[in-house]
Amino acid sequence: MSAIFPKWTNWLPLVLALVAALAGGAVTAGVVIYVTPKYYRVGYQPVQPVPFSHKIHAGQLGLDCRYCHSNVDKSWVANIPSASTCMNCHNQVLKDDPRLAIVRESATNNTPIPWVQIHIVPDYVYFNHSVHVNRGISCVECHGRVDQMDTVRQAKSLSMSFCLDCHRDPAAHIRPVDKVTDLGWQWDSDPAKAAKMQEINGTKFVHDWKVESLQSCSACHR
Amino acid sequence: MKTIRKPVPAPATGRRHWRSLEELADTKEFKEWLHREFPSGASEMAEGQSRRHFLQIMSASFALAGIATLGAGCRRPVENLEPFGKQPSDYVFGASQYFATAMPLRCGAQPLVVKSYEGRPIKIEGNNLFPGGIGATDRYAQASILDLYDPDRARFYRKQGQKISKDDALGSLSDLSSRFAGNQGQGLAFVVEQTSSPSRDRLLAILASRYPQAEWYAADAIHSVIHQEAASKAFGQAVRPEFHFEKARVILSLDADFLGGEDDSVNHIRRFASGRKPGETMNRLYVVESLFTLTGAAADHRLRLGASQVLGVASQILDQINGKGTASTPWVAECARDLAANPGAALVMAGQGQPLAVHLLANAINSALGAVGNTLLLATAPAPSFHLKSFRDLNPSAVDTLVIVGANPAYHFNWTQKPKNVVRLGFYEDETSELSDLHIPSAHYLESWGDAMASNGCKLAIQPLIQPLFDGMTELEFLARIAGEAVTNPYSIVKATFGEDGDRWKQFLFNGFVADTAPLLGNLSLALGRDELQSMAAGFNTQAPTADKLEVVFYRDAKLDDGRFANNGWMQELPDPITKMTWDNAVLMSRKTARALGVENGDLVEISLNGSTVTGPVWTQPGMADFSLGLALGYGRSRAGRVGSGVGFNAFTLFRGRYVDSGATIRKTGSTYVLACTQDHWSMEGRPAVREANLDEFSRNPKFASEDFHGVEPPIVQSLYPNPLDEAKKTALQQWGMAVDLNACVGCGTCVVACQSENNIPIVGKDQVKRGREMHWMRIDRYYTSDPGRKNNPSLFDFNADENQSDPNQQFAAWIDDVQAVNQPMLCQQCESAPCESVCPVNATVHDEEGLNVMAYNRCIGTRYCSNNCPYKVRHFNFLDYNKRPLSELKGPMYSTTLTHKTNGEWDLLRWLKDPDIGMRTEAEWDLIKLSKNPDVTVRMRGVMEKCTYCTQRIEQAKIAQKSRAGGSGNVRLSEAEGTIPKTACQQVCPAGAIVFGDVSDPESSVSRQKLSSLNYSVLGDLLTKPRTTYLARVRNPNPAMPDYHAPYSTEEYENGLLTRKGTS
Repeated sequence: MSAIFPKWTNWLPLVLALVAALAGGAVTAGVVIYVTPKYYRVGYQPVQPVPFSHKIHAGQLGLDCRYCHSNVDKSWVANIPSASTCMNCHNQVLKDDPRLAIVRESATNNTPIPWVQIHIVPDYVYFNHSVHVNRGISCVECHGRVDQMDTVRQAKSLSMSFCLDCHRDPAAHIRPVDKVTDLGWQWDSDPAKAAKMQEINGTKFVHDWKVESLQSCSACHR
Repeated sequence: MKTIRKPVPAPATGRRHWRSLEELADTKEFKEWLHREFPSGASEMAEGQSRRHFLQIMSASFALAGIATLGAGCRRPVENLEPFGKQPSDYVFGASQYFATAMPLRCGAQPLVVKSYEGRPIKIEGNNLFPGGIGATDRYAQASILDLYDPDRARFYRKQGQKISKDDALGSLSDLSSRFAGNQGQGLAFVVEQTSSPSRDRLLAILASRYPQAEWYAADAIHSVIHQEAASKAFGQAVRPEFHFEKARVILSLDADFLGGEDDSVNHIRRFASGRKPGETMNRLYVVESLFTLTGAAADHRLRLGASQVLGVASQILDQINGKGTASTPWVAECARDLAANPGAALVMAGQGQPLAVHLLANAINSALGAVGNTLLLATAPAPSFHLKSFRDLNPSAVDTLVIVGANPAYHFNWTQKPKNVVRLGFYEDETSELSDLHIPSAHYLESWGDAMASNGCKLAIQPLIQPLFDGMTELEFLARIAGEAVTNPYSIVKATFGEDGDRWKQFLFNGFVADTAPLLGNLSLALGRDELQSMAAGFNTQAPTADKLEVVFYRDAKLDDGRFANNGWMQELPDPITKMTWDNAVLMSRKTARALGVENGDLVEISLNGSTVTGPVWTQPGMADFSLGLALGYGRSRAGRVGSGVGFNAFTLFRGRYVDSGATIRKTGSTYVLACTQDHWSMEGRPAVREANLDEFSRNPKFASEDFHGVEPPIVQSLYPNPLDEAKKTALQQWGMAVDLNACVGCGTCVVACQSENNIPIVGKDQVKRGREMHWMRIDRYYTSDPGRKNNPSLFDFNADENQSDPNQQFAAWIDDVQAVNQPMLCQQCESAPCESVCPVNATVHDEEGLNVMAYNRCIGTRYCSNNCPYKVRHFNFLDYNKRPLSELKGPMYSTTLTHKTNGEWDLLRWLKDPDIGMRTEAEWDLIKLSKNPDVTVRMRGVMEKCTYCTQRIEQAKIAQKSRAGGSGNVRLSEAEGTIPKTACQQVCPAGAIVFGDVSDPESSVSRQKLSSLNYSVLGDLLTKPRTTYLARVRNPNPAMPDYHAPYSTEEYENGLLTRKGTS
């Protein structure tokens, strides 16, 4: 038989078992990491072409989100500002800083800056920013405390279940319209009291503003 | 206990409806088509690919996909966001912009508003600010946006066929300009098409003064100025007639297809439909015609007559109205009497294809009826600046350089003998390009500055939505360069013609028009004597055609026009409004003609006329005049592009400038040809889908169409289970619904193209249409109705009786000759209790709380159960990745795979790794396809069911806009009073206003008011599907004195049991 089965075949069952174990482990890990709905690149934090810090601009300087993302209440998309918007200040402030070379070039030559997109929903999801921010859903609900991030990373999963959690219970998330861009705003400094006030006022807003708790397909998919 | 309800018998009154001769004769083929949910072979592979082969390929591709996944598939690609460097003012990224412009036509122009998204035009709508406009367009305007993104359009400047730079081409033009400036244009000839552009007229005048010796030719394939010519001649001064059907009570069409093939049909449809409201003031339409047209389908009385015989009828009617002579038939006498009984409210129109004599007679009748100044308005028209000769008179040897501006004479005039030098501006590299020495790509009108005159004399602005995609040149710049003008920029040319600056110019661009119309002239008296009319009429051959001397009627095609839309896939795939033919033209003839000539549907025949021959397939058309052949122009292009080349046969080969010609003969070739006709698709097995009655029956019983339709519908039985929608409704702000008025709808098909444009619906190609896979979310069902009194075999109407039913020769029974037709737009009915939803195994089609039956494409696994269970047959399955199939494979092979396919010499599998979306398309095609899609609607892939969504994207956008405005308030409900209710794409373009969409939970909305009409009914309402789309039954208004007055379908047959179905007693 040794002519048919050389000696190394004695190890074959063990090798097969090992390969099977590794493959099984890889599949399990893959499913856990990639397939479970919670994973939607939370923590994704790519390097951007310009080291822009939201922590400084939105946090320390207190710029309103809408100074730069000026179309967020008019369009489905929260626009990335043009370089000319940056130059409104930076033709005075840090006007020779080498970190802003790309921005100055962009504003002069009208060449776009290739920012890396972080928050992505699939193409078949028609998310609209304007209807959310105009109706008391804060930026922080989906984007987290961007005003505390030096480099922006994805804070929430943005999966379908993430969307539905809020759509099923808008009262838990809605806030006064003028506090939408105030990311650190709370009803009260005492968490227990804040939660209580959210419940009362949230229910009131949902009722008074006729907020629909839309969960049908047509709300997001067209 | 389960009870089996009686099926609904067909209506006892109203007419029985059938859509094709096959259905009427109930042939074996038709039955098979009917009873198979998906046509034979629809689920099978074609062209030699067995299941085994398929599995081999698929397993290999799965394996490869797995390998590829290890490399790249786990990671999402990095996507960049590239903002502007300098922010344009007032530009909101992601919000659509709308610009007013106009589509130039050979006879006027159509005022439009075009939606632009991120700088690319996406959708064309009518300009509803325009005086008299309702924001509607015709189907040509809807389809024209696809031409902009046509991968086959001319992309390069060429000299002797070789690519040259634009600068070289401009150099050649200025050489030409200076060469002929010296000799006054001796040897120079221009070929132009008819337009209404004042700027072009100005440039032509400049050219004519610079080159006084130059010759001018018109190369229009279709002659459309005859109305103006005739009116000017009849009334003795240059006038432009306007036909105001809305003011007319009695209308006579003398072979005029004013609702279909005539120019300016969009205005005619609007005016006609507004006078077509059932009741005292409803208009009555008499039609004398040879082809069966949309106007014939709308007629109350239709006289089937050879086109050459129309002259006789016209002259008899004039005599009758003047109280002279005797009419040859009671039809003519009664028609004349009815016209004469409505002085000032009658209108006669002669068709574009008819000779001048008929038009003059029509003007004389109108004058005698007091129509002039009432229903026929005359406005001063500018006298033509200079005379254009017909292209047929061109002598190529006498010309040194021929400048062709846009026209395609090589196709339209079979022009082959070229002069020494030909310079041409053309949108396509087509038949004429082959004869051109210098070919310049033309800009699309959506890329051009220009101006035009609307049919009512308003000046319109044409402004670009996008930079010319392939650096094409506009007609104005081309002419200005040849004229050696210093200013060649079309913007400056248009502005100089407009002559004003500042606010008025801005207003002109903003509105898209200046509302100054030419003054109306009131009641002019006829400048033609009776003798003159008679002598004109005497000169024509009015011999009745016979089997060996056939009459040929050439007509402008409902889809391709004169061939200019031949490479437009939307137009090729749109079913012809009457024949329901796609991707072909045919030799149309009546059943009597077919029988006399011994031919059947699909037989290829050779037609000889004027020494030329052409071969085409026969199609028996009910309602056509005997011994007349109907030939659609515009097909048989040899070099239209990958979509349009070789589609149909070229009737221009026989055409000699006369739209009605006689003396043709036919020879059977013995071979046959398969036509892709959609008339049998999605049939409803004779259920009362369309309901109609005569006006007198309607006045006796206004509720004839509603749920107790002649007592034949079973009583409504409440469903056993509660409908979850009833609960969900309570939280919703609106409830959507639609009402379609069958009295207004003329069946023009504009809505079908608009839907295709709005909803990214792909074309599938002729082979796929033959398999019943067309993707149109909306279709127009055209049912033929016929007079039961003349039928000889009543059991024909019993669809379940198999005896005597399978004789295909029944399509040759005499009583089908005089048919009427009704059109019914059929789209998803958005049933409240939708049969499709309950059978979907994956909940991919469910209801939302506003009553929409929505599709979640990503859930759909393609079982097609929903389509099986849909009683309306409005769901369409995406059998192939039509969006990714290259244009070159539109006509086959049908199932090529990336594994064995190369594009531009590169294996597609490797291309797929680089870009998984591109499919087998070349980059040049793919770039344009991506530009052309509406970003608000998902582009569906293969294996997914799709259907009408009531334009859910428009609804959602309207809701979002209202909620954004509401902010922290409760004012979120859309309301018609505030104008916030969206319009569906089909509703917005409908020239007749037949489609009304809106909130049915608002009792004040127009859709709610429509639904309160006594004519309102649900199609197949007895199935308890509770459709949200309902129809207003059609009312005809025939004249009781007419010999062909049909009493409503007798209840006799029903009582005799002939209509009851077998096995249900």
